[in-house]
Amino acid sequence: MLAKRLFPACTRIPYVIQKIGQIRESSFKSSLFLEDISPKPREYEVTKNPVDWDYVQRLLPNTVVPEPVKKDKYPSGWKPQAENLSELPYFVQRTRNHMIPCYLRISHLKTRRTTLLKNIKGDIWLLEKEIKDFLRPQNYQPIRSQVNEFAGFIRINGDHVNAIKYFLENKGM
Amino acid sequence: MSGNADKALNILKSLPRVCLGNIRDNPGSRLGTKRGRGQHGGDKHGDGNKGSGQRQNFMRIGYETGNTPFYMRFKKEEYYKGHHLKRQYPPLSLLNLQKFIDLNRIDASKPIDLVSIVNTGLFNISIDQKHFGINLTDEGADIFEAKLNIEVQWASELVIAAVERAGGTITTAYYDPDSLRAMVNTKKFFERGTPIPKRMMPPPDAIEYYTSASCRGYLADPEKISEERLVLAQKYGYQLPKIEESSEYEMLAQRKDPRQIFYGLNPGWVVNLRDKVVLKPKDEELLEYYAS
Repeated sequence: MLAKRLFPACTRIPYVIQKIGQIRESSFKSSLFLEDISPKPREYEVTKNPVDWDYVQRLLPNTVVPEPVKKDKYPSGWKPQAENLSELPYFVQRTRNHMIPCYLRISHLKTRRTTLLKNIKGDIWLLEKEIKDFLRPQNYQPIRSQVNEFAGFIRINGDHVNAIKYFLENKGM
Repeated sequence: MSGNADKALNILKSLPRVCLGNIRDNPGSRLGTKRGRGQHGGDKHGDGNKGSGQRQNFMRIGYETGNTPFYMRFKKEEYYKGHHLKRQYPPLSLLNLQKFIDLNRIDASKPIDLVSIVNTGLFNISIDQKHFGINLTDEGADIFEAKLNIEVQWASELVIAAVERAGGTITTAYYDPDSLRAMVNTKKFFERGTPIPKRMMPPPDAIEYYTSASCRGYLADPEKISEERLVLAQKYGYQLPKIEESSEYEMLAQRKDPRQIFYGLNPGWVVNLRDKVVLKPKDEELLEYYAS
């Protein structure tokens, strides 16, 4: 009682000191292991075999998209871009994956479908006219479109992705 | 009959018939619904009083703004029960595989496995969503012409037939999630500096598939597989190409060990990408663990 009066701080044991004596018996870590499981130094042989390294390199991914090799036949239906396209008044550049940059865009709670053709160079207005002439016989409704000459894209109302891809493939694009 | 009547009949003959395709209302006979304002009917416009409907938040299909929806009102068979625990195999079609080969994204002159398909950057699996590898699907089976040695995790009979008709070989193999984690990003795995894991055996419900010769399982007897190749060729009616006489026989016959996850590299090895060396364990205990 005397000590309590002299040093009132001693009556309350600080939280940090309380924690030192605690054992958490609820955890599996509180019981000892039957054997020593600390990592042992293991012996390794360092090898520099070119055959092994060839197999390692095969597993590493390409950092760039490879160029397609010229073949007589492409069974998947993909066609490479023709080479003599400089005579045409317009040009559609392929994507980095060697595909035609024509996409379907769905918006407004999936009710609006528009076709976007990108990467157009040259006479974009002529290309728009030719695409519309190509699509007109297959479509009952008039075809609405938007041309952005600066950004080089054409946006057409409706889903015409496959038709436009077919049209451009026939042109050699 | 008079000339005029004849003319009228002729005109009628050439005019289009009245049918369901061309009848329509008289112009102006139908009025559209008006959305009145204020005292002229401008109240809720059919959207109800308060709640989801009025706020036009386009609720999900079947939602009845607070009622127990019709589709949840009655008992049903739980078709998808436990779907979150089942193994998933994301699909890759034969058409897309052919396209990868046409576009030089995959080298068909070497054995193809999950690593080479994921390395194209055009296909990926997420292991945390219980994806266990590729399901090769039959879309494009008719045009498939690539002669290859492919290893997938799931394939139907038609897909096996399409690959073997083209002169290739197909194997179905199981990889545990730990092995898959090393395979989907090999560069990251090697940089981690951990040994190549040992491939685990398939779980009990997958053992049957991966030991069956008709599914071309990697644990099946090779003798039985060559027998099944002939059976399938007869079933689908094509001449089985003789791979033994092919110039690429060595590549087509290459298989991984059931404990191996990378071609040419054994489990337990550590690959050091910076120094370009491979570390192989010499410890007896490790060799015993990694032995197949």
